[in-house]
Amino acid sequence: MARMKFLCDAERCIECNGCVTACKNEHEVPWGISRRRVVTLNDGVPGERSVSVACMHCTDAPCMAVCPVDCFYQTDEGVVLHDKDLCIGCGYCFYACPFGAPQFPQGGAFGMRGKMDKCTFCAGGPEKDHSAEEFKKYGRNRLAEGKLPLCAEMCATKALLGGDAEAISNIYRERVLKRGKGADLIGWGTAYGKREAAKEGGKS
Amino acid sequence: MKSILAFMQGLLVAALLGAVSAVAADAPAQAQAKEAHNQAQLWRDARSGQAGITTVRGPESGVLIQSGGETWRELRNGPISLYGGIALCAVVVAIGLFYLRRGMIRLTAPPTGRHIERFSSVERVAHWSMAISFVILAISGLVLLFGKHVLLPVIGYTLFSWLAAIGKNLHNFIGPLFLLSIIVSFFLFVKDNFWKAEDANWIAKAGGLLDGEHVPSWRFNFGEKFMFWFGVVFLGLAVSISGLIMDFPNFGQTRDTLQTVNIIHAVGALLFVCLMLGHIYIGTIGMEGAYAAMRTGQVDETWAKEHHELWYNQARQQPAEPTKAGQGSTAAAHS
Repeated sequence: MARMKFLCDAERCIECNGCVTACKNEHEVPWGISRRRVVTLNDGVPGERSVSVACMHCTDAPCMAVCPVDCFYQTDEGVVLHDKDLCIGCGYCFYACPFGAPQFPQGGAFGMRGKMDKCTFCAGGPEKDHSAEEFKKYGRNRLAEGKLPLCAEMCATKALLGGDAEAISNIYRERVLKRGKGADLIGWGTAYGKREAAKEGGKS
Repeated sequence: MKSILAFMQGLLVAALLGAVSAVAADAPAQAQAKEAHNQAQLWRDARSGQAGITTVRGPESGVLIQSGGETWRELRNGPISLYGGIALCAVVVAIGLFYLRRGMIRLTAPPTGRHIERFSSVERVAHWSMAISFVILAISGLVLLFGKHVLLPVIGYTLFSWLAAIGKNLHNFIGPLFLLSIIVSFFLFVKDNFWKAEDANWIAKAGGLLDGEHVPSWRFNFGEKFMFWFGVVFLGLAVSISGLIMDFPNFGQTRDTLQTVNIIHAVGALLFVCLMLGHIYIGTIGMEGAYAAMRTGQVDETWAKEHHELWYNQARQQPAEPTKAGQGSTAAAHS
């Protein structure tokens, strides 16, 4: 079984925001909401780097751990999804997430939070695959169609990779070997961290 | 795992290649090495929450990685839930044991039938505003912290989510009212909550709680004063202010702030609930006449004498009949 992950190659990201646009368009997310964003560090100075970031679908997901109504679940492929029918909009997932992934679109007065929205790895939600409700609440379910996340698929420089961890880290490793630099897997330690490393160590 | 090892090897090779090329060409190599160094620094900064530039608007949207959430999660799901839960259970058990030992503390002498006003209507309104909002906040707060482990397995996801949603909204809307009732209560009750010499005696004898010994006190005994200063004033303000910061996230609070105040809120609230369980117990089934005092504002003279003798003596010196001293006597009965 594949383990789905995102990987952003900062040596390649040109901050075009194509991934952000692709995501917004594919899922028809509400105004003011971005499930994905591109962050540029050292903007305008030598050594500038950009990284596209969204929900990383963490191995030991903090959002899942702190949700008071337990509305999150992780698929067999490691994709972290949530049930908007259960979500109460408390914002704890936003407190816990290191990547700032959870978004709250239906905010009321005084910053009152509506139901949380976040990147689904283009895998929809608990509703029936390809149903109208699923699309309305979570966006397109591309994984169920046998496709990968659109942000990565549409990335012009192939900086953003989304898919099976084994496959995308092979691609990345090859790149690092060829260019001899840029081996920083930004966010991977945070998202897939020590437990995963320990687990993989135990297997081999 | 093989792939990881291969990856590490790759990195090593890459590093070596970098080193070799650095020896071969001087100036550009130095620039490259500097850039590599900057890069390492860049990712370190990013991991420690240094903000970059992004077109997406929102609080801290430029921050790539915020690591404080992990600490918050570990504290909340770890010691706060564990020790908080243990403390709550321990308090309930302790109260149960105390009840088994003392039962309801009854009056020793028969009631006289003559009543003294202990709480004015304004004081009672303030108290019950505080009490009712506290109970709602406490229950909804406990549901958010422990419900997932205690209630959810029993009533199921859908019903629990409904309950939690109602709880969250009640919590958010009643919170500010609670703060208001605390402020009003502070000004109403503060004058009788200052230290008096007799409080030392009360502390020494633990208020006669265990052996039933009579310990004279003024309008409020030291237990009540402790409840006032540590409970209502200190914990009340700590919980309310931290709550308000989370209740109105539209002022651009950072996650770091929210995480910190949430910890303060949770610890303070758990302590507060533990304390109030004791207060509610002694104010209801723990002591005869205590609930009626806050319900009606009146206490029997026997009750006053047995529980607050100094206050009773003082109140008696200026009889409560409105015919004689009118306003003056009412004021005296309060103080």
